Amino acid sequence: MRSYLLIITISTLIFTSCSTSKLSKSSAYKGMYSEQPLSVLIMPPINRSTNVEAKELFHATLNVPVANGGYYVIPPFLSMEILKRESAYDSELFLNQSLEKFNEVFDADIVLFTIIHKWDKSTIGAKVKVEIEYVLKSTTSNEILYTRHGNIIYNASVSTNAGGLAGLIADIALSAVNTAATKYVDLAKTCNNYTFSDLPKGKYSPQYNLDGKEIAGPKKFTKRLSAQ
Amino acid sequence: MKRNNLLLIIVFFLVASCAPPATLYTWGSKKYNYHKASYNYLKVSDEESTNALKASYEDIIEKQKGIRKTVPPGIYADYGFLLVSINEPEKGIEMLKMEVILYPESKVFITRILNMLNK
Repeated sequence: MRSYLLIITISTLIFTSCSTSKLSKSSAYKGMYSEQPLSVLIMPPINRSTNVEAKELFHATLNVPVANGGYYVIPPFLSMEILKRESAYDSELFLNQSLEKFNEVFDADIVLFTIIHKWDKSTIGAKVKVEIEYVLKSTTSNEILYTRHGNIIYNASVSTNAGGLAGLIADIALSAVNTAATKYVDLAKTCNNYTFSDLPKGKYSPQYNLDGKEIAGPKKFTKRLSAQ
Repeated sequence: MKRNNLLLIIVFFLVASCAPPATLYTWGSKKYNYHKASYNYLKVSDEESTNALKASYEDIIEKQKGIRKTVPPGIYADYGFLLVSINEPEKGIEMLKMEVILYPESKVFITRILNMLNK
C-alpha cells in the first residue's frame, strides 16, 4: 500500500513538473491587446556579456522580426543617429525610467530593450550559449507589455552529410568558417525569430487582433537552436 | 490517368513544402544580405560597408515579394538618410518623404529630421 502511495506521489510530481503554464497571448500580453501599440523604437541592446560584438549583432537584426510581426519600426539607423546626438545611446539609463520623451520625439508607442546577459563560445565545436532578455515597454503607461528571457544554445555547425574521414574533415572546416564573425549574424537572427514567434501581431498583419487565443510561449525558456 | 494525378499531387505537395513561409515583407536577396550589410555598417561605417548597405536598400525597395507587397517600415527613411550622408541630399529627402507617404505614423519623427536637414 505504501509503495503504491509512493508511486502515485512520484508520478504526480513528474507530471506536474512537466506541465508548463499555458496562457493565451491575450492573458500573457494583456497590455499589447489593450494599448494596441503600432510604432516601435528599437533601443541599442544592453550588453552585459563578455562578447564586445554582441551589441551590434543584435542591433542589426531586431527590426526584421518586429516589422514582419505587423508593427511600424521606427527607422533603426536614423533613430540610432538621433539617440547618439541626444546623448541617449546608453539604453541602461532608460530601462527603469519614464519613456514619455520617446513618445514625444519619435512618436513611439513602445520601446524595445534587449539585454544580452551572456554569450559564451565553446572552443571545440561550434556551440554558443546566449542568455538574452527582450522587454517591450509602453511609452504611455510605462508598463512592460511583453517580456521573454531565453537561454539559447546555438549550434552554428552545418553538416556536409558526407561520410567517412573526408566528410568529417569537411564538416570541421565548414564549422570553422561558420563560426566566423559574420556567421553570428545568423545566431542573432535565429534567437530573435524564435523569441518573437509569439509576439501578438501588429496592425499591418492580417492576423491583427485575431491571435489572442493562441498560446503564448513561456516567459523563461531554454532552447537549442541551429543554423537555419 | 489516375497515376498522373497522383504524381501531380505529390509534386504539388513537394513544391509547397519547399516554399519558405510567407512573411509581410521580404528583405532582399542573399547576394545583398541586409542583415550582414547592417552589421558591417554598424561596425565600420567605411565606404565599402556604406555602399553594401545602400545596395541592399535598393534591392529591398525594387524586389518586394512579401504579403503586403510594399516596402518594409523604416527602409525608405534609412535609405534616404544614408543618401543624405553621402552627399545626395535631393534624392535622400525624397526618400524620407516616401516613408511618411507609406507610413503616416512616421510623420512626427521624419518631419523633425527634415527640419534638422533644412537648417
